[in-house]
Amino acid sequence: MARVLCARFPHLGLLAVWRHHPELRAEPVVVGGAPELRLPVIAASPAAEAAGVRPGQQLRQAQQACPAAVFVALDEAGVERLRAAVVEALCGVSPAIEVGDEEAFADLSGSHAVHPSEGAWAAAGARAAAAALGEAPAVGVGGSRFVARMAARASAPHRVRRVREGEEAAFLAPLPLRLFPADPAVLARLATLGLDCAGAVAGLAPADLQRQFGREGLAIHRLARGIDGDGIHAWAPPRTMAERLVLDGAVANLEALRFCARRITDTLGSRLQSGALAAGTLGLALEQDGGPSGTACGSGTNGGVRAGIPTSIRVLPVPAGNAGELWPAVLGLLGEARPTAPVSALRLEAGRLSAGSGRQVDLWRAGDAGRDAVARSVVRLQDRFGQDTVVRARLALDPGDLPERRFVWEAPAGAAGGGRGGGRP
Amino acid sequence: MATTSNSLAEAISALQRRYGTAAVRRGGDPVPAEAWPTGLPVLDGLIPRGGLPVGRLTLLSDGERSPGGPGATGRLTLLQALLAIASRSMQVAYVDLRGSLDPGYLADHGADLDACLVVRPPGGAIGPGLAMARTLVRAGVPWVGVAFPSGGGDRPAPWEHPLTALGEAAWAARAVLCIAVPAPLPAPLAYASSLTLGCSPIGWQEAHGDVVGLRVRLGVDKSRVGAPGTSAAVLLRYPRPHAVGEVVGLPALVTAAAPAPVALDDPAADLDTARRHTGTSGARDVPALAG
Repeated sequence: MARVLCARFPHLGLLAVWRHHPELRAEPVVVGGAPELRLPVIAASPAAEAAGVRPGQQLRQAQQACPAAVFVALDEAGVERLRAAVVEALCGVSPAIEVGDEEAFADLSGSHAVHPSEGAWAAAGARAAAAALGEAPAVGVGGSRFVARMAARASAPHRVRRVREGEEAAFLAPLPLRLFPADPAVLARLATLGLDCAGAVAGLAPADLQRQFGREGLAIHRLARGIDGDGIHAWAPPRTMAERLVLDGAVANLEALRFCARRITDTLGSRLQSGALAAGTLGLALEQDGGPSGTACGSGTNGGVRAGIPTSIRVLPVPAGNAGELWPAVLGLLGEARPTAPVSALRLEAGRLSAGSGRQVDLWRAGDAGRDAVARSVVRLQDRFGQDTVVRARLALDPGDLPERRFVWEAPAGAAGGGRGGGRP
Repeated sequence: MATTSNSLAEAISALQRRYGTAAVRRGGDPVPAEAWPTGLPVLDGLIPRGGLPVGRLTLLSDGERSPGGPGATGRLTLLQALLAIASRSMQVAYVDLRGSLDPGYLADHGADLDACLVVRPPGGAIGPGLAMARTLVRAGVPWVGVAFPSGGGDRPAPWEHPLTALGEAAWAARAVLCIAVPAPLPAPLAYASSLTLGCSPIGWQEAHGDVVGLRVRLGVDKSRVGAPGTSAAVLLRYPRPHAVGEVVGLPALVTAAAPAPVALDDPAADLDTARRHTGTSGARDVPALAG
């Protein structure tokens, strides 16, 4: 049975304004820009909403409704910072999260090792979101996205409203239909029939609703009974993350390059770690001095071209989520590089990013951590001694008549490639 | 008296700082050696503590050869059979310093090739090979087999330091380390070994005129984990088209370090001896010896 947490908070644009101007917290604030612009209101503070300002209306109308309001432009960078902070905070609580402008969702299905009960788990999520936002959210928990959202609306800051399994219909029954995400025309027709709350619709036969309103009628019926089944549209991490280090002067010394590579690896590793991400591939470009747009070295057999600069790319044996795990691969890429001119800048790019914090080694399959360590060691050995020095044999499917065709040598596939491991004598 | 004790402690501490903790140590009860049971009754019964010592070095070396006997001693077959057994339950590494590994032969012994890492150092160099094995052991590979090349016994051993490091890593990681080495035994290996099993060929096992195996007498030539001197005969049955290779005990040829007089022509007495010294029935299968 799915369980979803919904945390409702003021619009991130409004929170960004309050963060920079705490003195405006009690004042009517309208986010969207100057009132003379023909733009809609993005967010309004409670004082402005009390004066009649609504998100979506024209700024000019908002000014007429609340002449004393402070009009500010949307701080997009501040909003993204807040969003990233919420994502990072909730990533530590739940494996699947979704963060919007005014609400965030987290998956509470199953059980959590640290938080034994759903209430404690939800409270932890609420605390994490509050710490990231600086504002306590109103939290609701339900069996679906819609029920959780309604529960959060019925909740209050510093409170968690839980709708237990099987109680969804009873909880939704008194709610007005205008809160339902449905076609307003259908809702208006239902209202003319005297069906203005969820309980009245839930009591109807689904077939009758379908005859009158088609699929929309069935969807409203499912929503009214709390069995819509909609879950979390999980946040997807960015696909790549890169760091570039421009050197003070062109460097030809490999030891100095190694030092710079270590520095850039530390930076990228910290970013991965703070974002709870793990990289599946790693690319290194050494921009050489002399060309107008710079040239690069190190494009090996698995190289590519990024932004016009050839980049040596390596598929990591196991996803790397910090500097320590990235460093052996960076060393290998540096070893492959053959700079023909002094290097003026380094660019390190982590690709195929995935959620790193969701990977709990040794939890389900014993020996995962050991397999990862062995896979990293194999890559280090291959970097140092050659690709053919550590191999795995695989029997050929069609060996033919020649004995030497009975098997093929192949590079160990790392953690994902199977192989028994972890057992101890 | 207290002053003397303090001076002694200081001297020991200084020596250990300078030469390492292994240079001077107090006597006492030896650290009990864990064992990895091979699953082969005859071998587990032969080796003190019932299996290959964990965290220590086991050598499979050539024993005595009789004139006119088989040229092979079976040490590599035995190593690969043990590796195959280990690969069914854990990740293993095979350091092929001889460059002669046939993975198909490993598979014929029932090895899980997915669990086998094969290390082939450039040029078959011993030092780098041992260093690579050490890296894998430190990373967590719990079973490492090394096939040593021939001709290393009478030369200086530049790989002595990597061997020591490998031994320390195996001890720290509680890994099983098994090295098959031909005669003559290099001095560093002979010194570092905790258990040395000598493989002395007895004769070929034949069926219908074909060689199907090698009969070998395994002797515990050196043991730091128990009393040396015991020996047992095994049949290294080679893989056949529809059967895997296996190691089978031959109880009729088991002898002990201080054996009671046994009449070799009395099968019942031989079987009793085997049970007495191995603690088992001696073998899973007793083939009829040819010749």
